[in-house]
Amino acid sequence: MTVTDLARRLGLRGLAFFYLAAILLGPLLVVFYRTFEHGFGAAWAALSTAETVNAFKLTLIITAIAVPLNTVFGIACALAIVRRRFPGKGLVNAFVDLPLALSPVVVGLALFLLYGRDGWFGFLGDHGIQVLFSLPAMVIATIFVSLPFVAREVVPTLREIGDEQEQAARTLGASPWQTFRRITLPAIRWAVIYGVILTAARCLGEYGAVAVVSGRLQGETETATLRVEERYESFDLAGAYAISIVLALIAVLVLVAMTVIRPKEEAV
Amino acid sequence: MSTLEIAAKPTRIQSERASTALSLGLVTTYLTLIVALPIAALVFESTNAGARGFWEVVSSPESMAALKLTLGTSVAVALINGVMGTVTAWVLVRDSFRGKALVNAVIDLPFALPTIVAGLTLLALYGPQSPIGINVAFTKVAIVLAMLFVTMPFVVRTVQPVLLELDEEMEQAAKSLGATELQTFRRVVLPNVLPGILSGVALAFAKAVGEFGSLVIITGNLPYKTQVSSVFIFSRIESGDRSGAAAVAVVLLAISFGLLLLIGAIRHYATRHDRD
Amino acid sequence: MSIVASGISKRFGDFTALDDVSLEVESGSLTALLGPSGSGKSTLLRVIAGLEQPDAGEIVISGEDATEKAPQNRGVGFVFQHYAAFKHMTVRDNVAFGLTVRKKPKDEIRTRVDELLQLVQLQPFAHRYPAQLSGGQRQRMALARALAVEPKVLLLDEPFGALDARVRAELRAWLRRLHDEVHVTTVFVTHDQEEAMEVADQIAVMNKGRIEQVGGPRDLYEEPATEFVMSFIGPTTRIGDGWVRPHDLELLLEPAAGTSEAMIERVVHLGFEVRVELLRVDGEKMWAQLTRDRCEELELADGQIVYVRAAGERVFA
Repeated sequence: MTVTDLARRLGLRGLAFFYLAAILLGPLLVVFYRTFEHGFGAAWAALSTAETVNAFKLTLIITAIAVPLNTVFGIACALAIVRRRFPGKGLVNAFVDLPLALSPVVVGLALFLLYGRDGWFGFLGDHGIQVLFSLPAMVIATIFVSLPFVAREVVPTLREIGDEQEQAARTLGASPWQTFRRITLPAIRWAVIYGVILTAARCLGEYGAVAVVSGRLQGETETATLRVEERYESFDLAGAYAISIVLALIAVLVLVAMTVIRPKEEAV
Repeated sequence: MSTLEIAAKPTRIQSERASTALSLGLVTTYLTLIVALPIAALVFESTNAGARGFWEVVSSPESMAALKLTLGTSVAVALINGVMGTVTAWVLVRDSFRGKALVNAVIDLPFALPTIVAGLTLLALYGPQSPIGINVAFTKVAIVLAMLFVTMPFVVRTVQPVLLELDEEMEQAAKSLGATELQTFRRVVLPNVLPGILSGVALAFAKAVGEFGSLVIITGNLPYKTQVSSVFIFSRIESGDRSGAAAVAVVLLAISFGLLLLIGAIRHYATRHDRD
Repeated sequence: MSIVASGISKRFGDFTALDDVSLEVESGSLTALLGPSGSGKSTLLRVIAGLEQPDAGEIVISGEDATEKAPQNRGVGFVFQHYAAFKHMTVRDNVAFGLTVRKKPKDEIRTRVDELLQLVQLQPFAHRYPAQLSGGQRQRMALARALAVEPKVLLLDEPFGALDARVRAELRAWLRRLHDEVHVTTVFVTHDQEEAMEVADQIAVMNKGRIEQVGGPRDLYEEPATEFVMSFIGPTTRIGDGWVRPHDLELLLEPAAGTSEAMIERVVHLGFEVRVELLRVDGEKMWAQLTRDRCEELELADGQIVYVRAAGERVFA
């Protein structure tokens, strides 16, 4: 490596580091500092209020419903996209990608209009099924925004492994279900797990869509992220920071999981 | 051939058809219920007042100001992250240093971190109580900053695999044929990497246009000043103006769809020479 | 147009790729760097090209010190094993690349590229993209691309390594003819001794980062300097402390001076050649290579006792 080469390389590296520090790490460190600047006890007190505990519970419940549904859908959808030919495949592809590019507020509004009193599904309310401003709408909103991740991870892996092994299994007498369970699923498992982690991260962190459809009733339809904003608006910065730190720690766990799994996924 | 085998054949084909139909049915039903129907309801609502009503809402000064602000900041963000994301991806692929795995993991932080928390953290460093004395809260700079934060991973993660796949021998061949560093970059590296960069930039742009959570706190939501379209829609919903909200939402929806089409076209263009 | 490499060393971490290697390549010759994988042959080629910087030693090309020169200023043409085709350019643009970046006039480029496409027989494919060519065609394109800039030396790294056997054989003969036509000083890397012997004027046999021997194909076969060279170039079989070519073993039906007794374990007919696997009385195994006629003359059969005499036996220190 020549001297100019080295200098240029160090320059680029420095530039990248500076950018990452200024945009990503710096802000996070300040929040850590601010949260614990009045001691661990203060942060804990802010976290252990009934409303905050409820908010975390609600977030977990929503995630626990949305993730399995989106996982099953994601796998089935990836299989359909890669292995089957059917009319309207392009449309399916487009709709699966849409949540990646669409504003969460627009998602929330669309659900708000569909399930609102004058909406096409407004009749559900007349039969005593409360969707809007309660758990079902929040779950649907979360499912919407976290829909693509499993499918997007599984599709390339399915393409890469090809269908020869599956065909071999079929010629050896395996049924479609047996083939899926014994051949396809083991081959895509790391991609699925990776997709599940992304989905879970997106569910835990969803804010905009849920903000629109939840009605934000304290202690009832308030998720952890909504609670952060509520605390901030109520001038309880310490409370907002404390909840944020918990969510940030979860994010760090997600990063660790992603890093651990990524090389295995590439090795498939 | 035994009669057993003959009898088994139709069953096999039938069961295959059944499983195909089942999985396709599941996929389309789910997509329709979760995605297509709500979108349809949104588009329907926006047409209630007719084309003229739609246009009146969209072209109202407040809505236009929000749209202009959103598009302007998103363009800036897409350009900045187009460059910085590419540089970062380059460093991650071609450079080697201690702790590279850590830096690589940190790239996904904005993805894993809830957007509302992102907004709060940015406010903590670049807000009124900034420990380094930089206060950009409630300004356009804050919007750009928040958008940069949330869209950072999209460029890096689309450019990175393209760079990994880029044949280093191709660059060596160019150099051995007498190309300078700049010529090698412009004629060999860039044409192969550009489609990846462009799709990353398009995705980052789409994300920036729709961003909401991280902007709520740090921009202060000042109409005509720092109110972006997503925040505008949200405030319209809160004030009960459904058709106003729906009209602007449909504009954002159209932008998202357009960008997805663009990304698809870029991908198609990028692989044009790989097809026989 | 000669190449002189002297005292070249190169390490990658703990691995010594080249250990004080010196080599002279005469102007206009066709030289093969032959060795097993990991022997340092590709690294030496890349050091000559300037694609790797040596830790020690110097490279002189056409009497000029090239050690500190960047690859683009060395006047070398390099052909990669996996072609390194510019996938986003047509065959014509690939071949023209070196001339285009030198900003040659358009007419001159067109004429030169046409000539080269003719030379490598790719005129009908000028407007195709690399993905639409076969492996052999891609490699010919890469060759034309390297030749376009009229390099002082042409360096080829396992040029036929990624091709199937039939295309390899064709391209080998073609490379030899091409060299006889253009006479550019050429160095190519291969792990295939047959390829080296068929194509090259001079072969440098490499092992573990060192050059074991340099010589013409015949010299190396007849007068190997080391055990490694002997066993790498052509078949060998062990006899006592020494080595011998299996066709230099003579089988007799009666004992005679200098013979040792052995039992035939198996006679393998391979067409013109017959391979006789032997077990000596001291328990050591060896094998002899006979012609079909000689084998029939002796009426050799499994289990038979024969007397073996070796000619040209070699003992290496």
